[in-house]
Amino acid sequence: MRLPFIVILSTYTLAMTGLLLIPGVDANGNSFHLSIFDAFYFVTYTATTIGFGELPFAFTHNQKIWVSASIYLVVLGWFYSIGTLISLFQNKIFLSEIAIARFQRSVKNIEENFVIVLGYNETTREIIKRMLAAKMRVVVIEMQQERADYLQLEGFVPNVPILVKDAHNPNALEYAGIKSPYCKGVISIFEDNALNLRITLASKLLNPHVNVVVKATTAAEAENLRDAHADIVDNPFAIIAYQLQMALKAPSLYKLENWLYKTDTLESKTFSIPDTDIIICGYGRLGATIYEMFKKNNITPTVIEVNDSRINTANYSGVNKIIHGSADDHFYLETANIYDAKLVIIATDNDTINLSILSTVKKMNPTALIIARENEITDFSIFSQAKIDRLYIPERILIQKTTNALSNPLGDKFIRMIALKDEAWGQALLVNLVKNIGVNPKTYELDLTEKEAYEIHKYLKNKENTLTLGTLKLSRRDRNQKNNLLPLLILRENEEILSPSDDTLLQIDDRILFACDSNAIDDLEYIANNAYEFKYIISGEERKLFFNQL
Amino acid sequence: MNLDKVIAGFFIILAMTLNFGFWYGDPLDMNMHSKYELFAAIVVNLIATVLKLGDKTQIGSVLIATSLVANLQLLAAATLWTIFTDAKSIDPEIFGIIISLSAGALLANITSVVLYVGDTLKSKR
Repeated sequence: MRLPFIVILSTYTLAMTGLLLIPGVDANGNSFHLSIFDAFYFVTYTATTIGFGELPFAFTHNQKIWVSASIYLVVLGWFYSIGTLISLFQNKIFLSEIAIARFQRSVKNIEENFVIVLGYNETTREIIKRMLAAKMRVVVIEMQQERADYLQLEGFVPNVPILVKDAHNPNALEYAGIKSPYCKGVISIFEDNALNLRITLASKLLNPHVNVVVKATTAAEAENLRDAHADIVDNPFAIIAYQLQMALKAPSLYKLENWLYKTDTLESKTFSIPDTDIIICGYGRLGATIYEMFKKNNITPTVIEVNDSRINTANYSGVNKIIHGSADDHFYLETANIYDAKLVIIATDNDTINLSILSTVKKMNPTALIIARENEITDFSIFSQAKIDRLYIPERILIQKTTNALSNPLGDKFIRMIALKDEAWGQALLVNLVKNIGVNPKTYELDLTEKEAYEIHKYLKNKENTLTLGTLKLSRRDRNQKNNLLPLLILRENEEILSPSDDTLLQIDDRILFACDSNAIDDLEYIANNAYEFKYIISGEERKLFFNQL
Repeated sequence: MNLDKVIAGFFIILAMTLNFGFWYGDPLDMNMHSKYELFAAIVVNLIATVLKLGDKTQIGSVLIATSLVANLQLLAAATLWTIFTDAKSIDPEIFGIIISLSAGALLANITSVVLYVGDTLKSKR
């Protein structure tokens, strides 16, 4: 890059020197030498082909000879240099370096918690929307320029920086700020399992504190990823089977889970699964996972599958009621006792076949419960028009699970803990929530740290074990009244308290998950941070700044 | 021997010597300071700056800084000279300023040469 500058400097100097040496004639016919500045001015406008003319006086022949020669020199030198500079700005590598630098700068400017999303598609688009709604910022790495352009068109607010680079490249993760203290997670839900594993390993090496959310579709892959210290392994099929198991054993817990995933309110119709006469259409990854779940609960559903190699797998893993045939065929459905069936699970990985099975089953047995799988996530779903009792879209499950795990980590923990409880416990909590708060309570997480709850933290530091959980429920308008607030979970260093009672003593650094309404969130934020409100809540007295001694 | 080093060294030292040549002499006596020498000093300084570009080392950045300082001072001197000659009002005061500006540039040139020589001595090749 030095040459263009050297060329300009030397051609200008040469042309100017000539102009300085050769004498001219002024208006009165006297001999006249151009000043250095005049020479520079003349060369400048000549080299750029602007050509103001012969200044300050018309040139003599001697001067003209020199100028004619030097014009070729300076004009060519000028065009060469400018051309080199322009081609530099059109150079793809140079441009991509600039894009990377700009991306890094915008990532560095994010001073809030953010997550890195790898790959931009329908699924991650939905995840980005939910994360932004949960006040988390998002950074995206996408390999294809075209898809990156779609993200730009989406116009997310706040801005979502995107880097066009292959996620295989560990540099990409570093550019995306994985080492930043604000980076809370990496989401990698590619179809390619090797890539997911690789990203997990790279992310964990670059920053051991970052949460890695990955997708796995078989138990073996999930195992691998956990060995690589992935924090959250999303296996959509396992999640579906797990939810069905909840619906089978404890419908109330299932309802609670759906409420936490924000897919349903607590008021929704109870969905419970019968424990006999079940048909599973399709023994792929989803069908097999669901079958295993039923088997664990001592239920043997009938399986219909057309693919030979899958039949072999099924035989091998001990499925005893299996029908070899296409599930949208009347004959095979009759063989599977469709007229007596109470539940039909349509789980093939082909949406056309699923729709075909759906319409056949509806015709033959209109009373059976139907659970269907939709593979392609689109804005308009044909399946949702078909009045199915439950529709499972693996991609959507991924979206719910991922966003909940990152934007509401305590909620995710809570979901995992209630799985161990029974129906009676769930029923009690459900009634309690609906009675005290409403059919669709909000969740709120309060960390008793200096940053998030300054007053409470200060108080606990001076007087340990004096503040009860019940105190936080009091209304700041009148402390004899209580807000609609229900603690769900307290997480401590070495203790987890599920639905803690009001007289639980608070400790520094407790993380508390509440179910509440927006008014209660407002009050709680004030009480936790405002000295006047806090004083009133714990003592009923107004805080006095002056006359304390009186 | 390295041709690049020869060329770069040539221009860096020439920038200093030309500047010294311009500056040397009674600061108030216009006859002792040639405008053509100032012109040459500016051109050579600019070339030296360009030659120093692209060096990402610590020494390299200081070298560029010294060059930029020298250029700034010399161009300021030349601009002053042009403006006040035009107005036919060049007096000893203005001329004193021009010469002291070039003296400042000379200091930057000397720093540059010292650094350059030091860097060369440090090199084992």
